[in-house]
Amino acid sequence: MSDRLDQLERRIDELRAGVRRAMRARDAVTARALRADLRAAERTWDSLVSSPVQTPGGKRAGATTVRERVHQALDALGAPAQPRLIVAVSEAFFSGGLRSAQLTSIRRDEERSFRSSPYGRPYYLCAALTDRLSPARGLLTLSAWPLERRVVGPLSPRVDFLTCAAAVAQHIQRSAGPSPESLRLVARMGRNIPGGELVELGKDVDPGRVAEMALAELAVHLDRDTRDRAELAARAREQLDDPARLFGAALLSAANVGALGKEGITA
Amino acid sequence: MRRIDALRGTTPPKPHDARAIAALAANPGCARRALMDGAGVDKDAAARHLGFPAPFGQSPFAITRGNQFEALVKSDGCAELLRMLRELLELPIAEVAYHDVENVGAHLRHAHTRALFERAARGEHDAGTLYDHPLLSLDIAGHTAYLEPDVVAFQLEGRFHIVEIKSFAIVDGQADPAAVAAAARQAAVYVLALRTMLEELGHDPLTVSHDVVLVCPENFANRPVAKLVDVRRQLAVLRRQLTRMTTLDRLLEELPEGLTFDLEPGEDGLPLRRAADLADALRGVTARYAPDCLSTCDLCFFCRNEAREEGASDLLGRNVRDELGGVASVEEALGLADGTRAPREGQEEIARLLRGAERLRQDCLA
Repeated sequence: MSDRLDQLERRIDELRAGVRRAMRARDAVTARALRADLRAAERTWDSLVSSPVQTPGGKRAGATTVRERVHQALDALGAPAQPRLIVAVSEAFFSGGLRSAQLTSIRRDEERSFRSSPYGRPYYLCAALTDRLSPARGLLTLSAWPLERRVVGPLSPRVDFLTCAAAVAQHIQRSAGPSPESLRLVARMGRNIPGGELVELGKDVDPGRVAEMALAELAVHLDRDTRDRAELAARAREQLDDPARLFGAALLSAANVGALGKEGITA
Repeated sequence: MRRIDALRGTTPPKPHDARAIAALAANPGCARRALMDGAGVDKDAAARHLGFPAPFGQSPFAITRGNQFEALVKSDGCAELLRMLRELLELPIAEVAYHDVENVGAHLRHAHTRALFERAARGEHDAGTLYDHPLLSLDIAGHTAYLEPDVVAFQLEGRFHIVEIKSFAIVDGQADPAAVAAAARQAAVYVLALRTMLEELGHDPLTVSHDVVLVCPENFANRPVAKLVDVRRQLAVLRRQLTRMTTLDRLLEELPEGLTFDLEPGEDGLPLRRAADLADALRGVTARYAPDCLSTCDLCFFCRNEAREEGASDLLGRNVRDELGGVASVEEALGLADGTRAPREGQEEIARLLRGAERLRQDCLA
């Protein structure tokens, strides 16, 4: 380490002398090139000198991986959710530090991992399945959930939203000192549930009331949704192999019409 | 090759989007625009080649902002949208079914849309309420244009409503009138396309409401709010303009033989043709420039330049041009006013008015 530093210091001195010589000879081209080298050497020197002193606490968010944090949030929600909601929940109840952009490729990574060694991990973050058994756009689910929860029928987006709203509200009720983020989240969700028009931005919300309202609307849709989902899940069990059951059958495209469910997504 | 295709030449036709079709309705009298759009000429490329690139095109920031706002409105199973539709149209609580048409492959999307709307129009039990990203088509002078409304909502007493999500703000119940007008024109294109589809499927086209739901951010927050906008007038203009485009033959007959707007690219991707040559070809077709063109047409700078060279009264805006009916140029109008030019047949009335105006002006100045 100190050898490396000595070497660098010698090189910096040489370069400085070189720049001076070039300037005296009015050779602007050489001088510019030498200056660039000099700057690069100085930067390396800088980083070598300061590298052992690391800022403590900088790795706090890195203690858990992205997939663990997504799992945590999905587990708390208990229904297929969009990255936006997952990020908000992680922020409200857990360590946070997730960004939506990190979630865009996560499903593909999980699928690749599953295909190279099936069931090698205790859980997978996987897709929700549409009525065509293809992966639904922008929804994440957990492999541990029953298929009935992982398929989405026409009513499911609303049912899942209400389920999530109730879960968030109940989570707040259980926790001792709810964070301001979690209260904001429950207020935002509550406003979009009938009876929640009275929830005003910036005012205190009653999570118990939000949960109640969510469950009340849920009761309206639940019968039909459960029926739709059971039917879809049965079809998925019948037609799909393991990877496709987790990550969805390939979209029908001009290239692979007829190969539905056989290949999955290989790209 | 049809005459209209010859006009475009060797390049493939440029597909129309709703924005372009809506802009058509903004200047129905322009033969140049009608012909170029009818033939599917890439007007933007033509304008750039002529050295008059269009001043617009959406800024990437506006597009990002628009997409973000749309994602917000549609997030969590369209939770925000459902709240607004429940308030605005009294949508029943049970009506929450949501179909994301984009879940099927791109080439199947149009067929899937048709199947879904067929089911909805027949009133089947599980017909959905919200259709996200449906793909509609509209025939524009023999070419099929594919259009993607933001959302179509259905089942509000058996009627379809187009939902248009825009990111300009409604402040205190007021929005920028130009932005609202543009949104209404665009929504009218979707209404027309959806009506056409239902008619083809053998259903009553009037089940598509002429009241479109416009969703915008309210005041200075990001919270969406919905308003109903009546687009009957825009629909009428659009329909007239589209019929006119299918009867382009009359315009085509008047064109000189061999006229073409061909933009065949050379090896560097730029058109081979000389710009002056293309400009001559364009001048062979009359344009109807108005200052409003600056916000809707790619060729606006070229036409404005042409109008300036001719000293045309078009430059002064539509109102003035209409008042000066029969007087083509500013110079002619001034000549008639100070009496140095004798009115031609049919110009007597306007000449009398202009002379009167000139007299008043002199009185004021004296």
